[in-house]
Amino acid sequence: MTGGYGPGPFARSLAWATVLYLVLPITIVIPVSFTDQRFLSLPQETLSLRHYANLFGSEAWLSAIGQSAMIAVASTLLAVVAGTLCAIGCWRIGRRSTELLRALMLLPLIIPSIVYAIGLYRYFGPLGLLDRFLGATIAHGVTGIPYVVITVSAALAAFDPRLEQAARGMGASLSQTLRWVILPRIMPGIASGAIFAFIHSWDELVIVLFIASRQVFTLPRKIWDGINENLDPTMAAVAVLLILFTVLLLFLDGAFRRRRES
Amino acid sequence: MNGAVPGHALTLERLTKRYGGFTAVVDASLTVEQGQFLTLLGPSGSGKTTILMMIAGFVAPSEGRILLDGRDITVLPPEKREFGMVFQGYALFPHMTVAENIAFPLRVRGLARADRDARVRATLDLVQLTQFAERRPTQLSGGQQQRVALARALVFDPALLLLDEPLSALDKKLRAELQEELKTLHRRIGRTFVNVTHDQEEAMSLSDRVAILNHGKLVQMGGPVELYERPRTRFVADFLGKSNMISARVAEARQGGAVLTAGGTRLVQAMDGARAGEAVLLSLRPERITVLTAGETAENVVDGRIASAAFLGAGHSVTVETADLGRLRVTIPTWQASVAPEEGVPLRLGWSADAAAPVADDEDA
Repeated sequence: MTGGYGPGPFARSLAWATVLYLVLPITIVIPVSFTDQRFLSLPQETLSLRHYANLFGSEAWLSAIGQSAMIAVASTLLAVVAGTLCAIGCWRIGRRSTELLRALMLLPLIIPSIVYAIGLYRYFGPLGLLDRFLGATIAHGVTGIPYVVITVSAALAAFDPRLEQAARGMGASLSQTLRWVILPRIMPGIASGAIFAFIHSWDELVIVLFIASRQVFTLPRKIWDGINENLDPTMAAVAVLLILFTVLLLFLDGAFRRRRES
Repeated sequence: MNGAVPGHALTLERLTKRYGGFTAVVDASLTVEQGQFLTLLGPSGSGKTTILMMIAGFVAPSEGRILLDGRDITVLPPEKREFGMVFQGYALFPHMTVAENIAFPLRVRGLARADRDARVRATLDLVQLTQFAERRPTQLSGGQQQRVALARALVFDPALLLLDEPLSALDKKLRAELQEELKTLHRRIGRTFVNVTHDQEEAMSLSDRVAILNHGKLVQMGGPVELYERPRTRFVADFLGKSNMISARVAEARQGGAVLTAGGTRLVQAMDGARAGEAVLLSLRPERITVLTAGETAENVVDGRIASAAFLGAGHSVTVETADLGRLRVTIPTWQASVAPEEGVPLRLGWSADAAAPVADDEDA
């Protein structure tokens, strides 16, 4: 990385153009959230915090945030436990058949979520899971598993298998080896997967549109309805908070990655 | 950890390991007596590590049995065997401190905290690492890491200590130092050690017994001196130090010896069961050949001319071209060489009848 030649002017401007292309649509909501108008627009005369005040004073918005947070936490838990065990199992068995299993676990990531949502709708109906906290948690948890499988598998690839042999040679049972040797070593990978699974649930809309209606009303759903029904700038305020929150999570993930590499 | 606890005897019976069509170990049988230091020595791919992994329980043998004090442990999983092991590269837990690493086997056994701490401290003392207890393994030098691995393998009073190339990651000087420590430790605790290495000097200096392996077969087992002086095959002679190979034929069998001919040269050789006319391969160590001065004689005498010479500090390594025996490598101690050996100088070489050892030719086996 050090002592190389810097990029040429063409590559440099292309890179910046890409950055702008990615970031501009996101940043546009920031001034909009400070608008003094009553509809989605850029500030006309002055900057105003009224939409933020509105957000924190609104029962409906706060309830949506609370529900989203609860579903995200519960589904993250589900995804982390299932994904970690799956990744460790595949790693331990290490045969070709486990490659197939691992590919299978990535399906929710590959299949369009609308297809997945239709399938869930068909199954959740008879099971009484439609419009239930449990239903949304299972749906988000299962679709969050791939993120955990990917990050934990990556952490395991860097895990020295002799550490496991050493632990067992010293008399450790499988569960002791798992708790004291394997899990602490792959913890940064698990944390990384948990963050992604959380973000996945936190901003998931398509599945929720299918399997929830009145009782379960998540934040993305609330924003969606808001855009459809009225152009309340409170949504921009919510969007800004979401961006800040996500950036925070990604920084956290970066910190875990650095720890894993050290 | 006191000297009164006896070591344990380990027996391998006709151990074989196959991986698909590849046979890693063939029919290996051997016994390590209580308190002995055995080294499995061989080039890479000789099956020595596979044997160690079968003893440890990480690899299941295809055939054969493993006995500890006469008890069959072939199917016992590694965590039930109570063997200490020092892995290649040590396999220390990077997320634990030195003390936590050493406490691990005790924690696994559910020892009370106070008891655990006392034994960790005693073991740290044993390997002289007391002041490093709270460090992480990555903050230690290679030699220190090796000692932590040793302490961790010994802290739970294992029945057997297994060492997988324990010194291979260290530089030459440190290796010699730790060899000495390992030897002292073995004497002090009286445990049975099984070591694996490809370094013949390490094997010779550490072990009571050495088992030499090649292509998955146990070629010869014995004390270091016996193996060096009386190799049974060409491979053993070549692998343990340097050796001159002399092809000859028995001209006349005598009591306890034979007269051999190699080209036009007659040699006398101490050996049993020689039959006239049969081909014999001799292994002759370079240091067993002496340079004869004018008037001196020996049981075997050969004339030659120096083809090349190299000065190695303690001695000169000289290659002598002879008419009938080809090139012979000779080591001349520096104090005996009155002038530096130079190319083209004629030399008369001599050796006694018991200097060489007849060996089987197994080079293409």
